[in-house]
Amino acid sequence: MEVLACKGLRKVYGDLEVLKGIDFSINKGETKVIIGPSGSGKSTFLRIMGLLEPPTEGKVFFEGKDVYGENLNLNMIRAKIGFVFQDPSLFRHLTALENVKLGLKVVLKMSDEEATKKAMETLKLVRMDEWADYYPAQLSGGQQQRVGIARALAMDPDIILFDEPTASLDIELTWEVIDVMKDLARRGITMLVVTHEIGFAKEVADEIVLMDSGRIVESGPPEQMLKSPKTERAREFLGRLLGGV
Amino acid sequence: MIDPNDLLFLLQGVPATLAISFLSFGIGFALGIPIAVARQMSPSLSYLMEAYEKAFRGIPVLVFMLLFYFGLGGFVPFLKDPFTCAVVALGLRSGAFQSQIFRGAINSVDKQQMMAALSLGMTKTEAFRYVILPQAFIVALPGLGSEISLLIKDSSYAFILGVLELTKHADILRKASRSFVFPYLMAAVLYILMTFPIANYLDKWGSRLKTKYGLR
Amino acid sequence: MYFILEYSQFIIEGFYVTVTMTLVGLAGGVVLGVLSALGDVYGGKLLKIIINSYVEFFRGSPLIVQLLIFYYSIPAITGVKWDALTAGSLTLMLNSGAYQKGYFKGAIEAVFKDQLIAAKSLGMTFPQTLRHVVLPQALRIVIPPWTNEYVSLGLSTSALIVIGIRELTNVAVSISAQTFRPLEVYLFIGLIYFVWITLSLKVLDWVYNKVKIPGLAVSEVM
Ligand SMILES: Nc1ncnc2c1ncn2[C@@H]1O[C@H](COP(=O)(O)OP(=O)(O)OP(=O)(O)O)[C@@H](O)[C@H]1O
Ligand SMILES: [Mg+2]
Repeated sequence: MEVLACKGLRKVYGDLEVLKGIDFSINKGETKVIIGPSGSGKSTFLRIMGLLEPPTEGKVFFEGKDVYGENLNLNMIRAKIGFVFQDPSLFRHLTALENVKLGLKVVLKMSDEEATKKAMETLKLVRMDEWADYYPAQLSGGQQQRVGIARALAMDPDIILFDEPTASLDIELTWEVIDVMKDLARRGITMLVVTHEIGFAKEVADEIVLMDSGRIVESGPPEQMLKSPKTERAREFLGRLLGGV
Repeated sequence: MIDPNDLLFLLQGVPATLAISFLSFGIGFALGIPIAVARQMSPSLSYLMEAYEKAFRGIPVLVFMLLFYFGLGGFVPFLKDPFTCAVVALGLRSGAFQSQIFRGAINSVDKQQMMAALSLGMTKTEAFRYVILPQAFIVALPGLGSEISLLIKDSSYAFILGVLELTKHADILRKASRSFVFPYLMAAVLYILMTFPIANYLDKWGSRLKTKYGLR
Repeated sequence: MYFILEYSQFIIEGFYVTVTMTLVGLAGGVVLGVLSALGDVYGGKLLKIIINSYVEFFRGSPLIVQLLIFYYSIPAITGVKWDALTAGSLTLMLNSGAYQKGYFKGAIEAVFKDQLIAAKSLGMTFPQTLRHVVLPQALRIVIPPWTNEYVSLGLSTSALIVIGIRELTNVAVSISAQTFRPLEVYLFIGLIYFVWITLSLKVLDWVYNKVKIPGLAVSEVM
């Protein structure tokens, strides 16, 4: 079943055309990884798919419904699309536990008791239950990022979007976070991930998508994309990413 | 609708207002820097200085003016004059405020700078004079700008002692012309015309110098 | 200095007026300050212009002149008569609001934009985000600068003397005129102000330490 899709997506900032017509779809249970050079529009694409900003042109579909075409409650859809940011963006006045509970209580209207239970379960999944009562400033970057994942995950979203969740972490913290994400992928959580952690893509992705200058240049299963990409651009970019010159 | 004579009369209060403000700023400046430096260098002096700063932060400047004029005017000859009392009270308070501004600015200068200067063989005093203070001064500029505009506004307390400054002129004009609107509103406008450019200018100047010298 | 004790009734009344006017001004100022800060951060162009003119007027001119305007000029323009206490309270609220707007604006802007986007991604509406994300942080961040506003407004209530309100300084002037002992009177009244402000600072400091959250302070956020 198709969870999230788009058709003919364009985004223009001033004179700058950042997305130049993108068709994309992801089904329930799939994990797709987006790679591409800096400035190619990956974050912009993800923000639009997460309904954090509208496209200039084109359509976004959530579970088959045209998100901007029909009169839908965008906040209710946003609640079903999790988002994990490059910087953890935790609420700084709330503990790890309270960060995870906030959406459950305010948006999903859970009781405090239910929310606490759900939040603790989710923190356990990301191995942060022991840090539940710590404030963001008292956690390491990797720990904050795992709380950020728990915050998105606890809402029981139909899909989670990740925008380079490990880009600002050093190697060891990156592993912590990647391990948690692999776990989620294996549990069948639908994930759309911008990352250059190729190990992650190799192990759990169903498809790798290469973006360049606002377009999807090529996409395919990891083995094929990594070993024998079809386009020259993909060969060049992957060659450099995998450690060639 | 505005009588030019009325406006002219109000304008005659401006020089006194500016005189009170700038004289007290000068006193405050002359007190502020040494106190800030002394508090940095000598912990024993610190208590005394702190008491002085706390007194002027915890008691209205008007009470000091009244104390100087009515309370001390009988014993201290030069406090017989309300203008002087206003300047002295505002000046002493400004010293307390400016010392705080400078202390903050001195603390914001990188500790390495002091060590670098000492490693060149400068004495601590020389290091302060030639390395720390010039940088601290730049950092302090916006704060000094707000301090001047605060003094311009608070110079109006002198009106209560009967000093013939801008507010007093407005008050006289109201009583003379029986117009309740023009004198005070126009006085407010004149005050804004004085405070706004000064604070703004020092703020901009400060930020420009800060960027230029890479200070924070 | 025992003669002053004969006037203790007066002094207590004056002190009561001083404290009440300070609290009234601050409370009104919080409301005006938060509203104008929100308007200046999230509002449209016209609203921003109106808010900034209001702030510029009250921050650029002396409180004394503002009091005279509210006591004499505004009733003359509008024909609405009000007493000195009303004029004084309104002026203090508007004056404090103009200063507090700056503190609140800084604090609201310090709640980084990424947290607003994070709240949006959870499906929170803008009012929900304000209530659960922006204000709880902004209110904490604002306490230290707000403390300064408390002190400076508290001391400026002495300006109320120009519209004849019987606050502490005004009481001191009367006692001094009756007793011909200005030196003792003003020293004593100064001491009352000093003790009041010092104790208030201690209390506010205690409150700040109570609600303080690690990593959420002006120096670290702004
Ligand atoms: N809100 C915005 N306003 C104007 N330009 C923007 C905005 N957001 C992104 N851009 C521009 O769009 C282009 C694509 O940005 P985007 O962040 O989507 O790239 P990216 O592929 O995520 O890059 P990176 O790998 O560096 O994160 C860039 O040139 C960027 O400057
Ligand atoms: Mg990006």
